[in-house]
Amino acid sequence: MIVAAWICLVAPLAGALLITLLGTGISRRAAAYVSTASVLGAFAAAVVVFAKLLSESPHARSHPSTVWEWLNAGSFHVGLRILVDPLSVMMMLIVSGVGFLIVAYSIGYMDGDDEERRYFAYMALFVFSMLALVQAGNLVILLVGWGLVGLSSYLLIGFWHERPAAIAAAKKAFVMNAIGDATMALAFFVLIQHRQTLNFPDAFAVGPGHGWLVNLVALGLLGGAVAKSAQLPLQTWLPDAMEGPTPVSALIHAATMVTAGVYLIVRTHAVFEQAPRVQELAAGLGAGTLLMAGLIALVQTDIKRVIAYSTMSQIGYMFLGAGLGAYANAEFHLMTHAFFKALLFMAAGIVIHALAGEQDIRKMGGVGRLMPVTRIAFLIGSLSLVGIPPFAGFFSKDSIIASALGRGWYGDILFVVALIGTFLTGLYAFRLFFIVFPGEPSPFVQEHLMRGSHASGLEGAHAADHSHGVHEHKGEGPFSMTAPVLVLAVLAVIGGWIQFAPLWHPVSDWLQPVARPLAEPTNTQEALASLFAFLLGLAGIGVAWMLYSSRRWQVPRYAFAARLLEHKFYFDELYDLAFYRPAVACARLLQRGFEAPLVQGSVGGVGWAVRELGLGTRRLQTGLVRTYALAIAASLVVIMVVFVAVR
Amino acid sequence: MRGPEVVWYLAVAAFLFATGALGVLLRRSPLIVLLSLEIMLNGANLALIAFARHTGNASGQIFALAVMAVAASEVVVGLGLIVAISRKRLDLDVDKLSFLRG
Repeated sequence: MIVAAWICLVAPLAGALLITLLGTGISRRAAAYVSTASVLGAFAAAVVVFAKLLSESPHARSHPSTVWEWLNAGSFHVGLRILVDPLSVMMMLIVSGVGFLIVAYSIGYMDGDDEERRYFAYMALFVFSMLALVQAGNLVILLVGWGLVGLSSYLLIGFWHERPAAIAAAKKAFVMNAIGDATMALAFFVLIQHRQTLNFPDAFAVGPGHGWLVNLVALGLLGGAVAKSAQLPLQTWLPDAMEGPTPVSALIHAATMVTAGVYLIVRTHAVFEQAPRVQELAAGLGAGTLLMAGLIALVQTDIKRVIAYSTMSQIGYMFLGAGLGAYANAEFHLMTHAFFKALLFMAAGIVIHALAGEQDIRKMGGVGRLMPVTRIAFLIGSLSLVGIPPFAGFFSKDSIIASALGRGWYGDILFVVALIGTFLTGLYAFRLFFIVFPGEPSPFVQEHLMRGSHASGLEGAHAADHSHGVHEHKGEGPFSMTAPVLVLAVLAVIGGWIQFAPLWHPVSDWLQPVARPLAEPTNTQEALASLFAFLLGLAGIGVAWMLYSSRRWQVPRYAFAARLLEHKFYFDELYDLAFYRPAVACARLLQRGFEAPLVQGSVGGVGWAVRELGLGTRRLQTGLVRTYALAIAASLVVIMVVFVAVR
Repeated sequence: MRGPEVVWYLAVAAFLFATGALGVLLRRSPLIVLLSLEIMLNGANLALIAFARHTGNASGQIFALAVMAVAASEVVVGLGLIVAISRKRLDLDVDKLSFLRG
């Protein structure tokens, strides 16, 4: 079993290395197949591990394995250690399974791109990094995986490196994540100092009498989780990350990487439970993010950005659940979210692909008539996202909302916020759906989808996702694109039935040995939450229908609110003002006050002094032999006089 | 057999040296300058031999011989330079040979 776990970890790395080393020795298509096969291999290995683990008794399901200790400092040892337990296996299955579908989808989506090999090597590298993150058996390996997913995210966001916006977005994501990495590393230092170990799960028992210490560690971990998962206040990088190719958005910025923060909180829940204030802070941040992202998603006009904000919002729910101690529910929502969000992104990708890279929903409309399969898939994804039974989101989201009940006034606030969030989810998800899919095809759509071919000159004008000479596919793309979408659509329909809290709850049971939940909502609470969430979700859909489909209502426009939302609550501007400008001012000050006079001055001054000295002394070199002779004679006389005088 | 006191020899040596030095400093012809240099060297040699005799130590005389050898080779080089200068049809005037001016 351990061997299978290692194979699961190493297979994608091997795929990435193989593609990199073979270089142009293999065709682009072959690189795509290598990448897909390596991720599929990882998934197969994960399934084997899962099956083996299933056959064991629940409390024996924890298998650490160390192959190599590379850091031995006194009593502190760090090794290449993985841990196979229910939580990591669940994440392995999600990462490699959804990852496989998305990499397979990329075969069709990236077909014809200039640098396909690089793309597929990066994708495999990402899957490896993410598996390292979730399989890590100590915090150092976790940090390594954490950093590597940050790196591969950076590489993939900036994949189209000739686009300045993509480069800027990649840098932004990297810097934002680096802040989280730094706080996490600081938390680790504190843990090393006090526990002498970073191994799971010994590292987390910080022990009583260290109240502030535990809070510090928990805050550091929360910082990392917040940055990676794009929660308040480090959320601004995720929408910009949509500059990357759409499968990347599906894999990294929806299904797997951004949920790493949730995984971290669940994994280190022991620390958070010793620091209840920080845990409540995590729940509060999640609630704040889900509300804020839901509001911003209402006004976005880029199809991918709407889904990106929806991702932030859904991860907000997961944070809410993890912060309230409903770890299994958070993980369950993570799983269903991976299904339906990847589905939404990939369905959106099919639309973008067919429209030659256009992402502006104002130009779309009536796409559904020409793409019936995509329309169904997107509808399933949206219904699942809103949490309409019997789709997956219903089962997972409502349990999280229910867990906020019965937790005092703080829980009640979170409950209300989460319910408002479901209304917003219904509104923004179906605003997107109604604008893009039903009705008569818009002129733009007609031009792209109905005519046989169109002038290639047009493609330059729509320079969004696909200005790369990707040849256009008629209809809904090749089999490699539609098949994963259909698989995910099925999963988004049935994935939620794995756990129906009042009747059966295998996910909770499965995770019980790793993360015992702080509170299980009662059946009444579940029913109450489900009812409210369902009704509010329906209300959101209804309002969206009135506004965007039947158009019986005018879309209200309040100048102030619209400006606030279109500027994403001015977070970018705030950070610009708070960090970027002071840093630039500080740098300019140092440049003028220190660099120019002292550093450049000293270097230039040495040169100037030597030059002046040379100019002065060159006059001594007259070239007249007799002058030299006189100088020698005069010096001799002086020396003689001195000698005589000294004696 | 006793000659004059050593101081007389030194006086002659100093006179020779001063004559040579003045010749080097004042004359412009490289040939005369070389000649004056030889006079300076001979002044120094005279002083060396006088002291050698005064102290009864032969090493001063050995020094004088060495100086003569150096003077001979110096003359070879110096005269060679002068020949080269005149071959280039340059003026034989040390003040005009100031190409090394900084």
